Amino acid sequence: MRVVNFAHGEFLMLGMYAAFWAFTLLHADPYLTLIVAVPLFLAVGWGSYALIMRPIVHTSHNVQVFTTVGLSIVLQNLALVLWTGDARFVRTGYYGEVISIGGAVLNVAQAVAFVLAVAATAALFVFMRWSYTGKLMRATAQDRAAAALMGINTDRIYALTWAVGIACVGAAGVLLAPIYAVYPTAGLQFVLIAYIAVVLGGLGNMVGALIAALIVAAVEVIGSYTIGTGWKEVLYLLLFIAILIVRPAGLFGQRGAEALGM
Amino acid sequence: MRTYGAAIGFFAVVGLAPLVVSDAFLLDSLVLILIWGSAAGAWNIAGGYAGQISLGHSAFFGLGAYAAALCGVRWNISPWYGLAIGAALASAAGMVIGFLSNRLRGPYFVIATIAVSQVLLLGASRWRGFTSGSEGIPVPFRPGFWTLGIADKRIWVWIVLALALLVYLAQVYLERSRRGFQLAAVREDEDAALSLGVAARRLKVAAIAVSAAFTAVCGALWAQYVGFVDPLYVFSIDLSIRFSLSAIIGGLGSALGPFLGAVLVTTVETWLRAQFGGLGSHLVGLYLILYGIALIVMVRYAPQGLMGWMRER
Repeated sequence: MRVVNFAHGEFLMLGMYAAFWAFTLLHADPYLTLIVAVPLFLAVGWGSYALIMRPIVHTSHNVQVFTTVGLSIVLQNLALVLWTGDARFVRTGYYGEVISIGGAVLNVAQAVAFVLAVAATAALFVFMRWSYTGKLMRATAQDRAAAALMGINTDRIYALTWAVGIACVGAAGVLLAPIYAVYPTAGLQFVLIAYIAVVLGGLGNMVGALIAALIVAAVEVIGSYTIGTGWKEVLYLLLFIAILIVRPAGLFGQRGAEALGM
Repeated sequence: MRTYGAAIGFFAVVGLAPLVVSDAFLLDSLVLILIWGSAAGAWNIAGGYAGQISLGHSAFFGLGAYAAALCGVRWNISPWYGLAIGAALASAAGMVIGFLSNRLRGPYFVIATIAVSQVLLLGASRWRGFTSGSEGIPVPFRPGFWTLGIADKRIWVWIVLALALLVYLAQVYLERSRRGFQLAAVREDEDAALSLGVAARRLKVAAIAVSAAFTAVCGALWAQYVGFVDPLYVFSIDLSIRFSLSAIIGGLGSALGPFLGAVLVTTVETWLRAQFGGLGSHLVGLYLILYGIALIVMVRYAPQGLMGWMRER
């Protein structure tokens, strides 16, 4: 879509809250919530597109940046007003349980989140690569005018792309809820990592993003092991700035993309 | 000409207000409006005139605030030196950012500036030995003009008014001078400007450096006025958004706009905080919801801000 959504983290936060409320009020397991959350966030995504994004998808980057920043402020503070700033936790019955694979010890929730995230990424990759709709999305992103001339309803494709993105991040939020505390600004810490991974991998390149995510995770772990957990964020932010300066197109992106603002 | 009249009126009213008003609350609001207005104006130099939209300007604000506070706490020297050091550091940082991220446009540049402010936030809150870490630094109050320990809020109004006038004049310069026109050309179409022999990169870097220096001065004065520097506040993304919000509401690329935006933003915020701050403090978020909506609506329906909207009438 070539739109950077600065409210991405806030949709993640909403996903975490969805899991929390389903768990607290309905005693629903987060993985059960996931089944409902995906269509729910598809609808939320579609609605937010129709309401806020549709009029500005064709305008300048600055308008898009500030619209999504505005959306992020609204969602963050809506959560604050509705649910207060308290950190909340989803304490499932299997919270303390761990599984060990080889020498590594993993929390059950982390292991499930990892497996589901990899599965979702693979499914998304297959969808974008081989499905007809996925091809339409990529064609629209590459050249909107040409896509429209080929009879693609670009507006619907944009809405769908946006909705799929929101559904993915909402699902990620549900998966993260059993591992991390839930609070109105919870999205920020994850979304910064996500931006770094996506830019490092090259915007619009899903395999690149996956490999980049592994690199960022490795930097984070090695960094916290060698120089202390307090400074690991500084390390990957510096890595990120370095990438923007040296190769803004990312490891696998197309050279020159950044100058076009794509 | 009409906008100059409005500006002269605005600054005259603000300058004369301390002679008439003695209410501490009103004077306090006035000082804050002028500080936020100056910061928004400084942001406007980069964001409005040069088209370098940054959401990391709190980095420069924080550098100024920390420079002033640390000069007092660590070395016991005048915060005026701190102010100068902060401005120098910030403009150096601005130059580096502008120079290195010259090829980045649109959202890439925005994310880069956010990352820089986050690095400084983490640095300031983790480097306990020097910055006192995330608990922040209380700025010592030492009476006297040279140490900026001034209890009289009227004097503060005049000090920050001087800063506001400087920022305003810098913006007017960009509206009227040859360099300003060149900068506008770069903003509208960099490739076309380059082909006409405009030194685009140098102009952009200079605009960011000047903008950063002014923002740092705002930060230094703010630290001295408020008396406490908290890294999670002075380097926050919220603060960067606040600068840009005032400028956008007032009018991107108009000299008086950021100040009008700051008047509106600060007044509405104070009023809503007073209304909803008491019962269950989480309702404080209401004013931010309003800001978010204002931002979405403004960029869509009135991208030229209040000044542009008034000009069309």
